[in-house]
Amino acid sequence: METFINPKSLFHLLLLPCLLLYSSIAYNSSPVEAAMHTNNWAVLVCTSRFWFNYRHMANTLSLYRTVKRLGIPDERIILMLADDMACNTRNKYPAQVFNNENHRLNLYGDNVEVDYRGYEVTVENFLRVLTGRHETAVPRSKRLLSDEGSHILLYMTGHGGDEFLKFQDSEELQSHDLADAVKQMKEKHRFKELLIMVDTCQAATLFNQSPGVLAIGSSMKGENSYSHHLDSDVGVSVVDRFTYYTLAFFERLNIYDNASLSSLFSSYNPSLLMSTAYYRKDLYKRRLEEVPVTNFFGSVMETIHTDAAYKALSRRNSGRFEDEMSLDQSVHHIKRRMLIKVNDGDEIHDINPELLQGEEGASKCPWSTFRKKFQKAENVDSLLNYGLVAMIPLLVISTWLVQ
Amino acid sequence: MEKLKKKIGSFSFWNWVIASIIFRLILIYFPKNLNLSSRPEVSTPLTSFRRLAEGYWLKQSSMSSYAGSMYHGSPLLLSLLGPLTVKRIEGQPNHLLYSLVSVIADVVSAMLIRATGQNLRLAYLRSLESLDLVKQIDVSEFLFSGDIAALIYLCNPFTIVACVGLSTSPIENMAVILCLYGACSRLIPLAAFGWVIATHLSLYPAILIIPVIFLLGCGPDSPPRKLFLQRHQQKEVLNQLKLPPGFSWGPIIHFAFWAFLWSVYVLVLCGISLKQFGGLWEMFKSTYGFILTVEDLSPNIGVLWYFFAEVFEFFRNFFLIVFHVNILFMILPLSIRLRHRPCYLAFVYVAICSMLKSYPSVGDSALYLGLLGWFVNELADMQFSLFLFCGYVGVSLLSPVMHNLWIWRGTGNANFYFTTAMVYACLQIVLVVEGVSAVLNHDRKLRILITGKP
Repeated sequence: METFINPKSLFHLLLLPCLLLYSSIAYNSSPVEAAMHTNNWAVLVCTSRFWFNYRHMANTLSLYRTVKRLGIPDERIILMLADDMACNTRNKYPAQVFNNENHRLNLYGDNVEVDYRGYEVTVENFLRVLTGRHETAVPRSKRLLSDEGSHILLYMTGHGGDEFLKFQDSEELQSHDLADAVKQMKEKHRFKELLIMVDTCQAATLFNQSPGVLAIGSSMKGENSYSHHLDSDVGVSVVDRFTYYTLAFFERLNIYDNASLSSLFSSYNPSLLMSTAYYRKDLYKRRLEEVPVTNFFGSVMETIHTDAAYKALSRRNSGRFEDEMSLDQSVHHIKRRMLIKVNDGDEIHDINPELLQGEEGASKCPWSTFRKKFQKAENVDSLLNYGLVAMIPLLVISTWLVQ
Repeated sequence: MEKLKKKIGSFSFWNWVIASIIFRLILIYFPKNLNLSSRPEVSTPLTSFRRLAEGYWLKQSSMSSYAGSMYHGSPLLLSLLGPLTVKRIEGQPNHLLYSLVSVIADVVSAMLIRATGQNLRLAYLRSLESLDLVKQIDVSEFLFSGDIAALIYLCNPFTIVACVGLSTSPIENMAVILCLYGACSRLIPLAAFGWVIATHLSLYPAILIIPVIFLLGCGPDSPPRKLFLQRHQQKEVLNQLKLPPGFSWGPIIHFAFWAFLWSVYVLVLCGISLKQFGGLWEMFKSTYGFILTVEDLSPNIGVLWYFFAEVFEFFRNFFLIVFHVNILFMILPLSIRLRHRPCYLAFVYVAICSMLKSYPSVGDSALYLGLLGWFVNELADMQFSLFLFCGYVGVSLLSPVMHNLWIWRGTGNANFYFTTAMVYACLQIVLVVEGVSAVLNHDRKLRILITGKP
């Protein structure tokens, strides 16, 4: 008599819970890791105007100088300055902005590129920059053109309070607005990781509603952030304490050091700052000791050597897996990711792992292979050129025939 | 004697052609092409070289070439001319290759104009012969309209400026002239190709389909068919061979087929190049939509920009329709009145378009002034010709001055510049009106010669 449970039905019975188990694993390891860290962006915002807020400008320009020095180019920095201190009529040192009494560093050097200046620094423009919803005529230098592989540093300084930041002395950005913008950015895959650094009074309240990002503020609720020192020559305070100690940390670094974020965050001494620098990492997945500061503040990238020709990835196709496959396979973390995917794929779909390698061979239908070849950029161009060039002999032949 | 005269005539024709080419080359070698490409009379948002280069750069950066509302032309033009905008040769001026392409386009247009003009002249002589008017009209006085038209086109300062100013007008003009040449010489695929390309590059040559239909159906310009019938009634000999043929639909169907074929080809190529960037709808929106909705209001030698800068949003659509219908409602009456002279009809349509189009430039004027040369025999008695000539010279000198006063010195304002634009439009209107009445007078004179009564 045949047993009721034979191996085949046992296999089918076990398949269902396996399916459930692996699908839950696959669902939890969401495709966030699918994107590689490819570029760094910095959005540096100074929101105060008037001469006595010189220090906020100096803060922002100091951070600008730091991130440029550590490698982020101007085209990936959006600098928003609400007022012009360097050419202000009250500035005794025209075209020069200092962040220290010793006037050692002129922050407003030869190559400062301000993207939003003066009255253009508004809450609306700031939120438009973050979410990417611009009018059609806004130039590219004023847009945050990040993608899902970007690490973004967002630095804001000015006057703030409990859950708000004051812009231009006339409007305010509230913490839920900022949180909403960050959530939109996350949904549109505009960043891989985001570090928000705020240097205002009661800074920590500004990001207490922003999820999934790393944030550090210069003071907690109920505390003020203080300026560092007064420069009696220029006549105003030139830098805030939090930024001063941040810069002190970075001035010791050069582009090749790999100091970690945790060392940055632990370098803040509450007694020197006269406030508590509070950071939140509850929704940030990586451990701070492993994250180098240049992930946000600089642009030190891992180079991948490949012998294949460089293909400009169009933005819409940048997430496609087969384009990554065409890079040199010797990079180990790509291989590791592929192995994980292959392991998941095996049990669920029973697909040959080679199939993931090149989808050209996948389907038997020649039309879809033709279409896939078609979608690569250079094929389109050459086809177009052939089509254009073929127009002329066609014309000549048709005219001659009809005659 | 005739042969010698002809030989001398044609020798100096080629002299003039070579002289104009050399003059263009000299101007090209001036630094930065004499900055002509920044003049608003030469470069409009549709024909500007700078925008072509920008569109090409955007395409090379894997973005839609219509992003940022800079480039508004055909993607095929981008693939053809785009690489020329960046190619640099050591020691030569920057855009030498592109300028050479414009010069070649001009020369080809001139040759085609000459061939069509010769065709027209032969047809005219043939029709005069069949009307038995050869003794009454001094045929040896007839100027070589083909040569004259070609020379007018080549040596016209407007054409030279449009060529050296790196606009895309020479290529658009070449397409229109190719269409008319093909239709006159009964080369239907060529005519269809020219028409499709001209419509694709700028929208307005689409109305040239009517002259082309008449050309293919009836043949080149000839006196009205009524006159032929009257002549043969008089002589009471109905010789069918001498009558011009009636309207035939065969070539039209042929033309429709070839036009369909070429337009499918062009649209498929455009669709391929714009596949990732929104496809054909995006292209139509950015090219034809841009032309029809007059989005860019930068000053030019036309009249639309000033008006649409001050019209209220509520009335904008209404006035857009008014301006475009202004061209459309003139099509039908003119085609009825001038159906026996399709080439002249084409000239009138081109003149009306270049006056009332959204972004006119001197390149458009160059086209119809060149076509004017075909009709020097019919328009010999045109009134106000000196007035028009001086008017054109005056406007072309004053318009840059007014622009300078307005923009650079700040001592004038937009009204100064718009005045010259209005005067220019008035001159073109006078030219069209007087031209049409001169041709109709010419036909009336022929009728008087035949029937003896006015």
